Formats: sequence, structure tokens, C-alpha cells
Amino acid sequence: MAVDDAVREALEREVGVEHEEVLGEVSATLTRRYAAAVGERDPLYHDAAYAQSLGYANVVAPPNFLPGVICWTEGAPYDRLREDGTEADTHLPGVPAKGVRVMGGGEEMHFTRPVVAGALITRRTVLLDVTPRDSRQGLMLVARYADHYLDDAGDELLRSVRTVLLR
Amino acid sequence: MTSHQELRTGSALEAQTNQTSITQVFRYSAATWNTHRIHYDKDYAVKEGYPDVLVQSHLHGAFLTKYCTDWAGRDARLVDLSLRVRRFAVAGEALTTVGAVTSVRAGDEGRALVDIELIETRESDNETCVEGTATIDVPLTWLAEGALS
Repeated sequence: MAVDDAVREALEREVGVEHEEVLGEVSATLTRRYAAAVGERDPLYHDAAYAQSLGYANVVAPPNFLPGVICWTEGAPYDRLREDGTEADTHLPGVPAKGVRVMGGGEEMHFTRPVVAGALITRRTVLLDVTPRDSRQGLMLVARYADHYLDDAGDELLRSVRTVLLR
Repeated sequence: MTSHQELRTGSALEAQTNQTSITQVFRYSAATWNTHRIHYDKDYAVKEGYPDVLVQSHLHGAFLTKYCTDWAGRDARLVDLSLRVRRFAVAGEALTTVGAVTSVRAGDEGRALVDIELIETRESDNETCVEGTATIDVPLTWLAEGALS
């Protein structure tokens, strides 16, 4: 199975539906691991004393850390993973659990405030639109999601529009 | 990279290369809890038509982010970053990012907004993997005379 009209209709029912989720606290270990994985050596991302000398309460996350993290929980049970390994229930609501292949297509990010370890993050997500496109592998759907990341005071940290390709 | 003191439209920024590896792609998936098999299961990636496991789109984004923040240093701030993935890159590729200033705009008092076009290419065949744009808030003192006209 690949994407078809049923998948498209399921996704289109999600257009405009806002999902709000408390993602949890950004731990210093998580953000340091993220920086290390990217190859970032900036002490701002690793050294709490250095970050404090610049006025931050703790280490700072690299700017695209928040959208980079795919899953903020322990993860789904194995029987709720799609064939491609992505999570069927929490990743892309409306997309069937089987047969759909998912790829990132790009992102537009606005960095409003630095993300400091210890922040409690809430994300509001809404599917903006779904556009069918012909590709070499057949029908492809291009879905655009708007994400707003807020801290525990409700202040915006980052907003983005991400493009997801479904085949 | 280009001197911060002489920025103007057309200024080119120095290239930066990231040598990816299977270990890096694994660690990025682990740090972001990205369970997509296309990033760690070569057999699955081949079944999908790729020669090996793929660099994550967000890791491409992280390389562009790093490029911008390394250039900006402490006195400038990355405000916006957009990217479009044009072609895949597999783990092990060297990915080189270059940037050029496309416009310089007035910002808050004593500041300016510099728009930069970004291109990331894979060194194996020099094909473009990612196209992007960034806006960076910089001190006015970084601009060449007349850059804001």
C-alpha cells in the first residue's frame, strides 16, 4: 500500500485541528547529547558555568533542538510502530499505521527565545494543508504542519512550519 | 569567513564541511528518539531505493544552524532559518555548506538584519542536498559603509 485517496481524506480531516501537548522538561543531559550528536563544541551548549557567565540559568540548547526531537516520551510499544519504524499514534495523527512512508521535506523556523535546560515545553501543532503531487514513485502527499513551542510561562520559544512527504 | 566588519549584499561566507558517519546518524536518531528505520536499517533503506541509511532532514537543519551560529558568534543572533531538502545524503557523505548575503535590512537601534542564502552540497558528486535561507540580527558595525542603502 502507498498513499491513496483514503489517506488523503484522513489527513484532510486533520487540517485545522489543533493538538496541544506538554512535551516535558528539557534536561541538560538531553540537550548536551543533542549538541554532541550534531558535532557542536560551543561551551554554551555543554558547560553550565560558562552559560551562567553569560546570564543563562543552565546550558542552552542549539537553536533547532526543539523541532529536531521527534519523540518526547518513552516511545510507543512495538506493535504501535509503522513498518518504517515511526510511531503510529503520536506521529502524524490521521496517517494510517501501515503502508505509508514518511520523510522530512524541510522546515521554516523562527527562533524567538533561547531554550535553556530546565524549561518545561508545550507544543501546539496544527496541520495547515495537504497537497497531492506526482512523483517517480507514484502519488505523494505534501503535508505542512505549524508548530508553536512555548515555555511554562506561555511565552513562545520557537515557531515553525515543517513539511512532511508521504508516499 | 567574511570579515564581520565589511558585510554587504553579495558577501560570501566561508564554507563549512561536516563529515557525517553511521555513528553520527545513529547518535542523532538516539538523541532525538527518531525510530525511522531509514536512518539505521540499511536493508530497509535499500528496499526504499536508497544506497544506505539517510542523514536525517533535521540533521541537515542542524548543520545549517551550526553554520549560521558559528558565523554569528556571541554578538549576532540567528532569527530565522528555512530549509528545503532537495536530495538525500547517506551516512558517510561529507556535506559542505556555503552562504552568501542576499540583502541587508535595517533592524532595531544599532542593529541590522542580514539575509543569507545557504546551499549544502554532498561532496561525492557536488549535488545540492539542501537549499536554505537565514536571517541573522547583527550589529550595525559589521556592515560595510553604504550596505544599508
